[in-house]
Amino acid sequence: MIKVENLKKSFGENDVLKNINAIVSPREVVVVIGPSGSGKSTFLRCINQLETITGGHIFIEGLDTTDKKVNINKVRTEVGMVFQHFNLFPHKTVLENIMLAPIKVRKISKEQASQRGMELLKKVGLAEKANAYPDSLSGGQKQRVAIARALAMEPKIMLFDEPTSALDPEMVGEVLEVMKQLAKEGMTMVVVTHEMGFAKEVGDRVIFMDEGYIIEENIPSEIFNNPQQERTKAFLSKVL
Amino acid sequence: MSFRWDIIFEYAPFLLKGTLLTIGLSVSSILIGTFLGLLIGLGKIMKNKVLAFPFYGYVTVFRGTPLLVQIFLIHFGIVPFFTGETNAVTAGVIALSLNAAAYIAEIFRAGIQSIDKGQMEGARSLGMTHAQTMIHIVLPQAFKRMIPPLGNEFIVLLKDSSLLCVIAAPELMYWGKAMGSQYFKVWEPYLACAFIYLFLTLILSFVLNRLERRLKTE
Repeated sequence: MIKVENLKKSFGENDVLKNINAIVSPREVVVVIGPSGSGKSTFLRCINQLETITGGHIFIEGLDTTDKKVNINKVRTEVGMVFQHFNLFPHKTVLENIMLAPIKVRKISKEQASQRGMELLKKVGLAEKANAYPDSLSGGQKQRVAIARALAMEPKIMLFDEPTSALDPEMVGEVLEVMKQLAKEGMTMVVVTHEMGFAKEVGDRVIFMDEGYIIEENIPSEIFNNPQQERTKAFLSKVL
Repeated sequence: MSFRWDIIFEYAPFLLKGTLLTIGLSVSSILIGTFLGLLIGLGKIMKNKVLAFPFYGYVTVFRGTPLLVQIFLIHFGIVPFFTGETNAVTAGVIALSLNAAAYIAEIFRAGIQSIDKGQMEGARSLGMTHAQTMIHIVLPQAFKRMIPPLGNEFIVLLKDSSLLCVIAAPELMYWGKAMGSQYFKVWEPYLACAFIYLFLTLILSFVLNRLERRLKTE
């Protein structure tokens, strides 16, 4: 579903991603872990090209999205993203946040968008907040709205960039619940997170990154119980 | 010496006419200047430095030279160069608009850049184009933040329109000066003008305050 080939990304002199090769299969949940500065968020942001990549190729469903002729906006409609800081639109209500892109990009009618929006809000347990503004919501609620907003485009892939890192501890659970539900429904997901519990429980595969390389990848039980690389061991001993 | 109310009443029709022209000059310059300012502001934040350069140049020139000099150049130089003749009101609107556009461009630029980068990313990640994101996400939020500085700029522009009396545009200050020189008086004409300007700026700031409050979300 996603194939990353020799991906490189530099910010000026600073090489953040050195040579990344990865494959994500349909319905798979891949969890990316690693110390801060390892390049895991940049890796995720390269998949939908919020970062302009320096070298390599990214194929999504066989299409080389790094080809200049490919309309990246079209690609992004199929790849939803959830951010650490939610990035909800503060001047729009919760429902308007969800309706905007389907109306403007998918060109569906307002009625249809609103109906679909309400269904998604029910799914994330926030139907009663439809007409509230984002600033009146808690962090956990904001993130659930952000997930609903991304789902409204009916993407085939969802990217999660540290979705619980900016939340108070008691709100982490409600967001992870929604993500688990999504995984169960068969959504293809790439999740950058520090929640090792989530990685173990929901992840089909775990990728460990450090200093711009993928150091090790395996099924969660192997990574957590039987890491092969020294750097993986050192990292896990600090976070577990 | 006594305050001559009678000459103020005598000149009242002219002051009124002048006030109407002042309002007309200011409103049209505000509209044109805001439109140009938006384009120039957007031009300045283009990533391509070569394309952005003319917009930098524009702001540098119009912000770095006195409005009075610009008024003279436009009235006696630029307008006659293109049309063969000149007209104080036209030249006045052009000068005020072009001058205000430079300041308004900076207000737009600052307003747009003050919006968190995550807003752009959030919208782009949903497949919206850069233009759609600007129109639906960034500009509405930036505009709210720009109202106080824009209000300042509009008030400055309204008051600066009085400079147009030097090219004999028959606005409020022009009639004040006429009254002063006819009767060799100082207090009556200029205090009358001052009060009218104050009245106009008060109305303007009242309108802007209302607008700001209406656009507030929780």
